[in-house]
Amino acid sequence: MNKFVGKLTITEAIVWIFLSLVLLFTILPIVFMLVASFMDSKQILAMPFSWIPSKEYFTSSDRTFFTNFIKAILGNNNNAIFFRTLFNSLVVAITVSLTTVFLASLCGYGLAKFKFKGNHFIFMAIMATMMIPFEAIMIPLYMVTSSLNMMNSYRGLIIPFLVSAFGVFQMRQYLLTFPSEFLDASRVDGLGEFNIYARIVLPNCTPVIATLGILSFRNQWDNLLWPLLVSQKETMKTIPLYITKFSEEKQTDEGAMMACALLASIPMFLLFGFLSKYFLGGAAVFESRKG
Amino acid sequence: MSKKTKKYSIEQKEARWGLLFTIPCVVFFAIFSFYPIINAFITSLTDAKVLSRTREFVGLKNYIYLFTKDNGGFSLANSMRATLTFTIGTFIPMVVISLIIAVLLMQLRKNKYRGFFQIAYYMPAVLSSVVAASIWMILFDPRGLFNQFSNFILLTSGKDYGWLVNSSMLQASTMIVYFWKYIGYFVILFITGLASIPPTIYEAATVDGANRWKTFWRITLPLLKPTVLLVSVMAMLQCLKTFSTQYMFHQGGAARQPIDVITMNIYFTGIRNGRIARASAMSIILFVIMLVLTLLQFKASNSDDVEY
Repeated sequence: MNKFVGKLTITEAIVWIFLSLVLLFTILPIVFMLVASFMDSKQILAMPFSWIPSKEYFTSSDRTFFTNFIKAILGNNNNAIFFRTLFNSLVVAITVSLTTVFLASLCGYGLAKFKFKGNHFIFMAIMATMMIPFEAIMIPLYMVTSSLNMMNSYRGLIIPFLVSAFGVFQMRQYLLTFPSEFLDASRVDGLGEFNIYARIVLPNCTPVIATLGILSFRNQWDNLLWPLLVSQKETMKTIPLYITKFSEEKQTDEGAMMACALLASIPMFLLFGFLSKYFLGGAAVFESRKG
Repeated sequence: MSKKTKKYSIEQKEARWGLLFTIPCVVFFAIFSFYPIINAFITSLTDAKVLSRTREFVGLKNYIYLFTKDNGGFSLANSMRATLTFTIGTFIPMVVISLIIAVLLMQLRKNKYRGFFQIAYYMPAVLSSVVAASIWMILFDPRGLFNQFSNFILLTSGKDYGWLVNSSMLQASTMIVYFWKYIGYFVILFITGLASIPPTIYEAATVDGANRWKTFWRITLPLLKPTVLLVSVMAMLQCLKTFSTQYMFHQGGAARQPIDVITMNIYFTGIRNGRIARASAMSIILFVIMLVLTLLQFKASNSDDVEY
């Protein structure tokens, strides 16, 4: 759009200043979490706030570099439930992203590449479920889960999220553009239908699979509402519940709370660091929904 | 099946495999989406409670109760107000500002810079909402950074703005958290929309002597209208479902009344107080609101498509 190569114009300078201010707004709270996780409450709420943890906090007799992290992990009653909740969150998020990718690709493939009576109806029905917000059906789901004795279990946490309508939609749209000639050629070669799906279709879907897998993982990592209903036992809590509980009971210890928040964010930061392309891609795919 | 498929067994085979591939998902959505919403509707017409096993049909009594009574101090009317205030106060600034940011990002000369800003703006969306809320809870403390910053901007000194205490400030706080978390996400949606406008149109406009300001109002914005509409409705739907921030703030000690959004009221009424039927009625009301908005979105996006 901009054809003027050379000096920085005034408009451009203003653009840069504005964008940098927004940058500060989005980044500073994250930097704050990072530095605050090494500070004690007194320094976190000091006026004026200093962005560099001062030396005396690490060298004083009752604090070390890792004091906050140890507190975050040990929790309020030293039961060290942190790792258990981390594990629970990982189990739920990984399982859900695997099943979502599997079931959504299966269904999306069926809808995109097979002509059968009711194909369009099934597609529309699945799209219609996108209009049903989870928040509106959580009460009946809760009742069913408790009557099936699935409270405080991985099954209870996972089963309502096995696949998402949006995932099916995304897979179908992607596979519509997949050349049918490949499929026919494999059929001529005598490959079975399921093998075609597993060996030809799936390996050619890696971008959607990555996007969808990350989206599902993130949604579960973020999920507070459903675990709040289903996990009442300490050992079945997930990371968001742990942080919530921790912040209630440790209201005064801001440093430990930030350390806890930081630890809980590490898996997401790692994923984002390695696969940021697919995070941003996921947002972009959503936009194409209008098509 | 028609006669045709009998003649061509290959088509029959295709149909069978197609069904086989789609059936698992169909079954799943039938059990975990359609059944629960019907169940919620039926339950909302009864007097079901968590502890009592029997339930009786009471007609629209729950709905009448919700619209006329105060539900133990946390009325539906208040929840509607809280939800609508939050939604309008969040999605309008979000759409407008993310559009401005996206347009400005497109002015940058190098894709490298644009990519850097996009990633930096997107960072908060990587954090979970509980983490976001816990960071901002500390920032909003009377001695916290954000209060210090407010004092600095508004040229006051040592004033406590009561970000988590004063009822309208508390609502603003939840909006700020949400805005912070999702701004990068919406910037990317707009960037995608902007990138799909062919550059030749801009070149033609430049040749015709249009300046950037004119180009934006006369070309970019009209062509971007479908994206703006889509993103607005999406943002609205997302805001209507907000829960985590409000819940965290309330658990952290903030009053429930000002930020008692409808999802939070469903949770407290249904789960904490065991009033399943009443909570189901609220769920159905939330569902209807979102359904109407989604249908509006479909209508808007179908009738208003732009051809480049």
